[in-house]
Amino acid sequence: MKMIRAFIRPEKEQEVVLALEGAGYPSLTKMAVFGRGKQKGLQIGAVHYDELPKTLIMTVVDDADVNSIITIVQDKARTGFIGDGKIFVSPVDNAYTIRTGQEGL
Amino acid sequence: MKEITAIIRRDKLPATKKALADLGYPSLTIQSVEGRGKQRGAMCAEMDTEMPDSFCSAVKLHPTPSSYALEHTLTKVALYVPKRMLTVVVPDDVVSRLVKEIVKVNKTGKRGDGRIFVSTIESALRLRTGETGGEAII
Repeated sequence: MKMIRAFIRPEKEQEVVLALEGAGYPSLTKMAVFGRGKQKGLQIGAVHYDELPKTLIMTVVDDADVNSIITIVQDKARTGFIGDGKIFVSPVDNAYTIRTGQEGL
Repeated sequence: MKEITAIIRRDKLPATKKALADLGYPSLTIQSVEGRGKQRGAMCAEMDTEMPDSFCSAVKLHPTPSSYALEHTLTKVALYVPKRMLTVVVPDDVVSRLVKEIVKVNKTGKRGDGRIFVSTIESALRLRTGETGGEAII
């Protein structure tokens, strides 16, 4: 099992979620986050934005599905300009459904 | 060290906190998140209650209810259900005990109870003292 955390532009969120849903990955958790990257924020004229709003989409999937999810997110969230975001993948040992107490996704 | 990430109902948070504290692991991080599971969100306003029968039939008719809801601008749609996300980092040997306790406290038997993920943490550091590893999380 892997946990995929995708930091994407807030305005691309709906597009990404609908694409994931269409591909059969409806489950996700999202939260609004603030952050910055290599460019140290954003400079517009005299105003410097140190932290920019992003949406964090978190989902846990089987190892075999990781690549297709990354492809979908990349495809939908990409604009080609800086600030498109990043995807992180980390291992998850176990998952439990609270309703049933069962192990597994 | 293991990290337990539990996504639970909002109203179960105080009970969960108390249960964890009673077991001797009071430290945790709480985040307010929105999410959805296999049911693709709730299409009714009563988000933390059981789904009505009409929801299931809508799922059968329309394979992606949220896109259907967007197309038809349903007023009572909730694509995401608000949840609380707890993160606790604990030693390896108590993980199964804590998971059992969280399941016991949060179980209502209805859809939307949430999920628990367990993953490995490689190291920890307490900023105040500079302790690392197991000492940092006790």
